[in-house]
Amino acid sequence: MKTIHLKDISKSFEGDVILDDFSLTVPAGKFFALLGPSGCGKTTVLRLIGGFETPDYGTIMLGDKNITKVPIYKRRISTVFQNYALFPHMNVFNNVAYSLQLKNLDKERIKERVLKVLRAVRLESHMYKSIKQLSGGQQQRVALARAITNEPDVLLLDEPLAALDLKLREQMLIELIDLQETLKTTFVYVTHDQTEALTVADQMAILNHDGKIEQIGTPQQIYEFPASSFVATFVGKMNLFKGTLQTAGESPCVDVPGLGLFQIYISARYQWMQEGAHVVMGMRPEKIWMEKKKEEKFSNVMAGTVEAIVYHGPATQYNVRLKNDQMVQVFEQNEEHFPKEKIDYDDHVYLHWQKENAFLLER
Amino acid sequence: MARRAKTVHSFFWGIPAFLWQTLFFYVPLCFLLATSFVKRVPSTKISHFSLEHYAALLDPIYMVILARSLTLAAITVCSCLLIAYPVAYFLALRVQRFKTILFALLILPFWTNFLLLVYAWYFLLENNGLINTMLLKFGFISAPIHMMNTYGAVCCGMLYCYLPFMLLPLYSTFERFDERLLEASRDLGATGWQTFTRVMLPLTLPGIKTGALLVFIPAFGEFVIPSLLGGDKSMYIGSVITHYFLTVRNVSLGSAFTCFSALFLIFFLFILFMAHALLNREQKNA
Repeated sequence: MKTIHLKDISKSFEGDVILDDFSLTVPAGKFFALLGPSGCGKTTVLRLIGGFETPDYGTIMLGDKNITKVPIYKRRISTVFQNYALFPHMNVFNNVAYSLQLKNLDKERIKERVLKVLRAVRLESHMYKSIKQLSGGQQQRVALARAITNEPDVLLLDEPLAALDLKLREQMLIELIDLQETLKTTFVYVTHDQTEALTVADQMAILNHDGKIEQIGTPQQIYEFPASSFVATFVGKMNLFKGTLQTAGESPCVDVPGLGLFQIYISARYQWMQEGAHVVMGMRPEKIWMEKKKEEKFSNVMAGTVEAIVYHGPATQYNVRLKNDQMVQVFEQNEEHFPKEKIDYDDHVYLHWQKENAFLLER
Repeated sequence: MARRAKTVHSFFWGIPAFLWQTLFFYVPLCFLLATSFVKRVPSTKISHFSLEHYAALLDPIYMVILARSLTLAAITVCSCLLIAYPVAYFLALRVQRFKTILFALLILPFWTNFLLLVYAWYFLLENNGLINTMLLKFGFISAPIHMMNTYGAVCCGMLYCYLPFMLLPLYSTFERFDERLLEASRDLGATGWQTFTRVMLPLTLPGIKTGALLVFIPAFGEFVIPSLLGGDKSMYIGSVITHYFLTVRNVSLGSAFTCFSALFLIFFLFILFMAHALLNREQKNA
């Protein structure tokens, strides 16, 4: 259980700058997720921590020890690879025991430890099977077991679930969380899948296309209070309206051209914003209340026509065209078998929301 | 029905190969075997069954010749492996550009006439050959080094001619090798040497075995290179066989020796195979 500090890291490959002046602190004993679009450099961050690459500039600290120059095999950091990279010429037992066998430990002690780890990933009955006999999910578990036998200070996971199907992925996510809670090891989880990141992480960092950190926070902070329009649109779905900041009486408003004035809640972060500033108003699709008739109890309302209906099962997504031709996404929970009011294509609808459920972003 | 039709069909296409193999390999092999047991009395011109030729092979000189061929084949296999292994690794996994061209250049000896290759070495190694001329010219030596007709020259020639047989299987093994396994091994705390012995070597072993076999079998019967580059000083299996068949014309003794050395080769490979199987079983039990 150790904190990882990356300080002013730069890394380029053949003149292609991947990371520039990159700093990040991964808190000790936490499940930390690194979320970003493909090619943003998140895997490079992982490979730098793991020691597969050395940074051009900057330092990497593990706890209070500088590990920038420590060779890969001396770092107490293990990796779960995207393709698992299991040794095909060894059975499950020998794969998991590999790191211990290298140290020439006592055979009984190795066996004891391997059994314990295999029990933790529920594979003890497959101990003497060859790797090829295992399913994808089982191989994933072997990779996990192999990485933790050595009791590393940090476990790195590079999109470990990318090759699994949805059901298995959801199950493995829960298992990963349980495992992290038992081991208390620092986990660094790299993914481009926001659902995975939101599910597993205690803390997460969002990287943009240039390899810069856009925001660090808990999944709730990231989802409910995104710090930029990039984060707002990258994590979850988001409706964005460009406008200018106005003050109508006591409460602040956003003037959206063609749609009118909307009340808004300004978080502490943006208290400094002046009237007339160019801003973006954001709203999550599930926080909009859609009705065929206008309701009075909401602070904001806008009108539109339904253009598309996408049925998801638990919820239905409606694409609504506003009078300024902008499209808005709305999620409605399918709470009842027989809804009282069925909304159909081309229906005229009103979208309502409370001002606290919309937020302000810099443009 | 469909399955049976398919079997018949594939059998039909196998007939030419089967005929060829029978006519030009199995039938002559039987002749060879029969000849080795036949003694022809010149005065009466009558032939009869005899074990005399095999008895003659008990002379220790034949064991020396077999051992000599075996040694040369073993040296060739080892030197080919030593050179081809790193070359195949770098070519398949490290080189990004010009991969095909580099590979073609390495395989080029394969496409050139065998005798031409050996004579090329002759012109390099002889007393007023290229190497000696250059060394003399730049003053590294004052008198030419004697290189032709030495065992070293033979080994060089063998290595050069048999290298592609080792290179090709190793290259295709490395092409399929997943480099991330090396990273995984290092990540789990293995040093470079441990990674080599525990991951890379076991996973490339099939390629090594194929290459070793492809080099060993022809190198065992090789006699042209030793006689051209080594002088006619020492006999090898191949030279003994040509000697009996073409020079002395003792066909029966030649046949007996051919059968004997073939059996020896099979026996030797069988021992290797058994040792390997035993080793494998022991590893599994451990």
